[in-house]
Amino acid sequence: MEATTIQSTRQPEPIILIQETTLTGEEQAQFKKLTLVWLTTALALFPILVILGLLMRGSQAAILKMSPELFYAFMTLHGLGMVGIWYIAGMAGAGLLLSRYVRPSLALSRGVFWATLVAVVLLIVATLIGKFITGWYFLYPLPLYPADVWKPWATLAFFAFLTIAGVAWTLWTVDYLRAIASRYSLKRALAWDVLFKKVKESDVPPMILILTVSLISALAGFLAAVVLIALFAAEALSSGFTNDALLMKNLVFYFGHVLVNITMYLGVAMVYELFPAFAEKGKLTTKWMVAAAWNASLLLVNLAYFHHLYMDFVQPGLLQKLGQIASYLVSVPAGVVTIISVLSLAFGSRMTWRLPSLLFFLGVMGWAIGGMAAVVDSTIVVNFRFHNTLWVPAHFHTYYLAGVVFMILGFAFQYAAELSGKAENLRLGRWLTALLTVGAYGFLSMFFYAGAHSVPRRYAVYPSEVHQGAGYAQVAIVFILLILTGVIIYLWEYGRRCVHAFSAHSH
Amino acid sequence: MPVQQIAFLVWLLFAIIIAAVFGIIGWRSRQKVDVSPARVNRFRILLLVILLVLSVIFWAYTLPKVPYPTEARQPDMVVFVTGKQFNFGIATHPMPTEKEWEEVVNFGEPVVLPRNKLIEFRVTSLDVNHGFSLYDPDHLLIGQVQAMPGYMNRLRYRFTKPGEYTVLCLEYCGNGHHRMRGAFTVQ
Ligand code: HEM
Ligand SMILES: [Cu+2]
Ligand SMILES: [Cu+2]
Repeated sequence: MEATTIQSTRQPEPIILIQETTLTGEEQAQFKKLTLVWLTTALALFPILVILGLLMRGSQAAILKMSPELFYAFMTLHGLGMVGIWYIAGMAGAGLLLSRYVRPSLALSRGVFWATLVAVVLLIVATLIGKFITGWYFLYPLPLYPADVWKPWATLAFFAFLTIAGVAWTLWTVDYLRAIASRYSLKRALAWDVLFKKVKESDVPPMILILTVSLISALAGFLAAVVLIALFAAEALSSGFTNDALLMKNLVFYFGHVLVNITMYLGVAMVYELFPAFAEKGKLTTKWMVAAAWNASLLLVNLAYFHHLYMDFVQPGLLQKLGQIASYLVSVPAGVVTIISVLSLAFGSRMTWRLPSLLFFLGVMGWAIGGMAAVVDSTIVVNFRFHNTLWVPAHFHTYYLAGVVFMILGFAFQYAAELSGKAENLRLGRWLTALLTVGAYGFLSMFFYAGAHSVPRRYAVYPSEVHQGAGYAQVAIVFILLILTGVIIYLWEYGRRCVHAFSAHSH
Repeated sequence: MPVQQIAFLVWLLFAIIIAAVFGIIGWRSRQKVDVSPARVNRFRILLLVILLVLSVIFWAYTLPKVPYPTEARQPDMVVFVTGKQFNFGIATHPMPTEKEWEEVVNFGEPVVLPRNKLIEFRVTSLDVNHGFSLYDPDHLLIGQVQAMPGYMNRLRYRFTKPGEYTVLCLEYCGNGHHRMRGAFTVQ
């Protein structure tokens, strides 16, 4: 057996990975700064949203007393806030990686940033002050039934938030696609030349392929959202017109499903682009398998969303079964290509495990474990008993919190470390990773366990039939505190590097 | 064993396998080993085949058991369920208006259902979406269907266990969601 390597130093310099861009001079400096601002905004909101989660668990544990209106306001804000911050952080990171090959627009990203800030303020006002508490997917027709809980202005503020964020993010998506298409053409970016065996290997990096797939799906999702908002407006403004509840459900779940899935893909794109360097291996290339897998994802993501409507028995049965088949299949390319790639990079690499590479590696693991939980729930006979129980937040918190959040935390740390040039503390990195991992899986296990024991999701307090839910919530709180501690240590380390980067610049 | 428990254990098994694989590979990253791309590809094909075979097995086992009603069979008894913020009206007659719904909720006799008969619940809503669920006398969730405005979802069930059944709302419907409930008896 070979001797394992002893690190020559426990505090190595960061490796330089992301710095090089196709942008030049002042524009490059501005773009880098803006990316840091995007990431920092998302990261700063993260602990606040975690605390909302903690408070919700406190209410469910029967430890904290709060009005149901406050609980559901926290729930709505937490859900939309989390989905939002990881989407923007993913997009900002993707923009930086894209800028190594193509030229996304600096001005547009800046405009989107300000629009997003306005949207965030509107969301906070609508939920916390206005008590617009429809849950994160504002299922039709609930927003039109305020029942004295919220006033029309809160509904207006909420839909203004949706519209502003929706328009801004659509433009952002279109701009990235424009940037990609102007260098590669979309066909090449989708690796169709490799797919149809015109060439053996493409010079388009897999990261670009994944982003192209994600961005096209995102556009389709945003389009559904536009139709949805227009239909809501039509009903609110005209007298006598009512929408079709089933159509509205299809629209909102198509949108939600796509948004959540592509956020995952944004994280995966980061891993594809950066993990090889951590493993001290050459870049991944776009071969037939990779091309086939991601093109299959592009198709399957659009069919898998039917699993959100299994309990609407009036939906055509064929679509339901198609939903189950597509939901299983969508996990296959991911498993076969992405997971094996990451594993084979790490295997026998003798790599130095730094905080970002640890988080990338574990993030892919969380993605796989959460994905399996999703596949289990996408089985119609299982969904009959799991739908809208805590199994649902269990699975999506797994591939978010222990999946894409880990990946983005890894990415942001790497970026800040590079900018500052500050040495890394490997031991601290390991402890921090352990803390976050134990916290996350402990917290998640209580969601899973409760879901398997018939505890419904979205209950401010548990009635006697499902009183066991309170006990699981109490255990979860301990683990949430671990996560919160980890997040604060992470932010301290990240923040130090950001400050260092800027003070170094000003000299 | 309840479906939930089987599903949980299946997932747990996969989760443990995934975690073990990541753990072992992480450990093996400490030594230098050259892996040929051909070998990695063989693993890919192997995993592809395993996943596809497993999928087909699971589909073959579960797809024929979907809970959707078929026209071929007629139910033995029909029960009407109407949701409205924040209560379920459960009766042997329909409640198309608010007035009839209130009558059922406030003064209706509790519904008693026979065992071993195919019961059809015709489920709808007078306002927003609700979730009609069946919690058996041991508080195990045994099935559900959405209560959707403008639509009638038909949930069929053959009860074998006698006792008090609880209906909890399983679709978020506003600030009283966690209080919304209904009940019936199986004899
Ligand atoms: C430590 C971190 C977190 C904690 C403690 C936490 C806690 C919670 C809790 C208690 C709920 C309500 C569950 C229920 O009864 O239905 C919830 C819902 C939710 N969480 Fe988290 N969460 C965390 C991280 C995240 C992350 C990273 C995301 C990323 C997107 C996220 C997205 C959501 C969403 C979308 C909902 C559903 C909201 C709704 O039902 O309208 N959470 N979370
Ligand atoms: Cu309800
Ligand atoms: Cu409800």
